Amino acid sequence: MEPPAVPAATFERRVVRSGAEHHYLRVRLELPDGGARPNVAQFKQLVVSALRELHGEVGAALPVDVLTYEEKTLSAILRVISSGLVKLWSALTLLGFYQNRRCAFRVLQVKPCGGWTASPVCQFSL
Amino acid sequence: MSMPVPPLRRLHQVPRHLLVCEKGHLRHPRSRHAAHVRDHAYSCRVSFLIPECGILPEVLKSTIADVGEYYLVRNLSVHELVAHEFIDAFVKKGSCYALTYNTKIDQDNTAALLPNVITIDLTDSGFHPDSKKHKRVLWALKEKKPLKFDFLLAWYNTGAEGSTLMSYFSKNQIKALKPKITISTLRDLQCPVLQSNELHGKPEESCSTEELFEWLGAVWNQVSLDNKSSSFLSTYCCPQPNTVVEKAFLCTITGFIIPEKIIQLLEQLCCYFGEPKLAYWLTLTVHGFADSPVSWRESEHGFHKGGENLYNFVIFRNLDYWLQMAVGTNDDCPP
Repeated sequence: MEPPAVPAATFERRVVRSGAEHHYLRVRLELPDGGARPNVAQFKQLVVSALRELHGEVGAALPVDVLTYEEKTLSAILRVISSGLVKLWSALTLLGFYQNRRCAFRVLQVKPCGGWTASPVCQFSL
Repeated sequence: MSMPVPPLRRLHQVPRHLLVCEKGHLRHPRSRHAAHVRDHAYSCRVSFLIPECGILPEVLKSTIADVGEYYLVRNLSVHELVAHEFIDAFVKKGSCYALTYNTKIDQDNTAALLPNVITIDLTDSGFHPDSKKHKRVLWALKEKKPLKFDFLLAWYNTGAEGSTLMSYFSKNQIKALKPKITISTLRDLQCPVLQSNELHGKPEESCSTEELFEWLGAVWNQVSLDNKSSSFLSTYCCPQPNTVVEKAFLCTITGFIIPEKIIQLLEQLCCYFGEPKLAYWLTLTVHGFADSPVSWRESEHGFHKGGENLYNFVIFRNLDYWLQMAVGTNDDCPP
């Protein structure tokens, strides 16, 4: 059934300054020893333990979503509530070991809700 | 004198970012939607999503087939872009765009050419070949600080006869390129319910512009929209209220895409609703180059944490529209 016709929208403009509820991080885990790669659940567990190591149980309780994960490249898009961005980013930066194996997180891009629809870097190779 | 931010508050701070949301009607005589598109010069990716559609609509076929070529010129000296032969052949006969290729805005030199250049106004009557101004600019670019880059170039010809970019730069390594087009069809897609008059959304009735924007990012990045709130991995799900559409058509054009072409595409997307359609709305998303020196008009753009400068149209069946424009830290507010 067709909805009732609505009159044309009146003009409205609003500017939201730093109002994004969530921030999105495009990250890549480096595991130089070339051993077994973590699956998505192990990856998420690694993120949680990084938060716990630096920020304690309160940090570990920070809700972080693993929106996408590619096991082959160990890259992921994470979503975190904006007020938790600094905690998450610092925890990932300072993480040095995964199951006693040397590792490092590379944070490739950080975007607020509005801007994250871009692909990894909006350039392209020719 | 500003007070220092307490350490605990700093822990919760985020880089400053702006999201401008506008709504209006595309056929309103004073609608600014086309001006916003024209003012955003450098776009590397244009995507549109049409719910309840499985194949490329007939009304869009010719626009997609003719997105236009762009060019890559290697090792081009900047002073060649202010040479009078170039100005007469291209700048004065259409809209000419150039942007350095593969330069990082926060660490490399970058150059760009806009159709309405202000910093060095190539169309200024005082900028003729014998003027002091012209000689000074040429000296600066040729001898004082000779700069060479790989440039991406595009030219919107207003129909005048004359040389082409390929012939003009034939002595440089110039290559003509066609934008890459990818299409796909999604099945059983959860789509937010929107009401064109309700930019903020209405509880239980429609979603807000911010929720739509986040959902669109999820779709383009193939994020699952159906997680449970108890899920360990992700709790993201499609905003409520939503409906499931049987199919949705996605198309992405990647290249050096000029505003004139985007305006054409926008017009054809409006024509899509010229006949009755199941879809209530469709979206058109345009990404600027993350390393572009400007965002809208001559507003300086920086990469900072993500380099975002993008805009998104939601076009409704009745030709109402929403427009979201997003920029990052240190960027000026879009006009």
